[in-house]
Amino acid sequence: MQNKLKFAVPLVFFLGLCLFLFQGLFSDPQARDAMTLDRPMPEFALPDLMQPEITYTQDVFKGKVTLLNVWGVWCVTCQVELPYLTALSEQGVQIVGLYYDQDLDPDFGIKTLARVQQEVIDITDRLGNPFAYNIFDVYRDTSLDLGVTGAPESLLIDQNGIIRVHHIGDVNNRVWQNKFADVYAELTSQTITGVEEK
Amino acid sequence: MKTVLVITFALLSVATFAAQENYQFDTVEQQVLFKELTATLRCPMCQNQNIADSDAMIAHDMRRKVFQLISQGQDHEQIVSFMKSRYGDFVYYQPPVTRTTIWLWVLPIFVVLLGFVVVLRRTPHSLPAQDEQAALAKAQALLDEDK
Repeated sequence: MQNKLKFAVPLVFFLGLCLFLFQGLFSDPQARDAMTLDRPMPEFALPDLMQPEITYTQDVFKGKVTLLNVWGVWCVTCQVELPYLTALSEQGVQIVGLYYDQDLDPDFGIKTLARVQQEVIDITDRLGNPFAYNIFDVYRDTSLDLGVTGAPESLLIDQNGIIRVHHIGDVNNRVWQNKFADVYAELTSQTITGVEEK
Repeated sequence: MKTVLVITFALLSVATFAAQENYQFDTVEQQVLFKELTATLRCPMCQNQNIADSDAMIAHDMRRKVFQLISQGQDHEQIVSFMKSRYGDFVYYQPPVTRTTIWLWVLPIFVVLLGFVVVLRRTPHSLPAQDEQAALAKAQALLDEDK
């Protein structure tokens, strides 16, 4: 009995270790819990990308369920998701872009606003324009406040301006169905019945 | 030949210096704090690089933010919690002690203690008593046989 136990302990330990390491093969090293979840949109005051004289604040999300898409023309994956987002917007989903540019580094700015605008127009003409409007995150401060690590990222914001879903990576049909659809349906049904969640 | 080698290596080394922004600090303490923070804050985009080493855009932005916060007079603690509230505990190389992470400290101590227990409790392997005389006689007999 004593002897059998002596053999069993290392074996169980070894198998446990195998299981642990095996799981690691399939884990995503980039995956992390977003800190933004269930928190209100951080305060901001940013211009519209196309009409810089318009200024948006966090209050712009109040009253309507919005999918906020963090993107830029320099980001290849963002181009992949543009057609799908366009399809979503045609189904009535309110999609707003949080645009930030890579080259327009506030400290070493070399790109003019007109050029950024032209690039955005070119790409949305080609791949579809899902955006009701684009908020221009000039200094990328709002992206930082949202805990954005890169583009694309998408956030579902409810009618009270609370972030409900934070997705890192592109939005496609599978991601929308698995991660967004249920929450979106629940939130929009509240709008229809006029019940506002506090 | 030697000169050529030296020149080649000198040229190669130029290409390896990291991109660094030039931040101007009011005091030396602020500069020290900046170095310390950028060395201990982890880039959330890259695999195990601090934001001082990383050239990712997010690391640039975080360095700039750290500089801004230091210029505003925030201390080490405040800046770390600013980053943690946005990027989670992941962003700081010193993990907090929680129910999950406590094992990082407890487990090594436990293993060492277990080692002590195993060593101390091990009964010395007693050798079977040998009849030395008989063995010697046997050996002698074999040696005699060989002659």
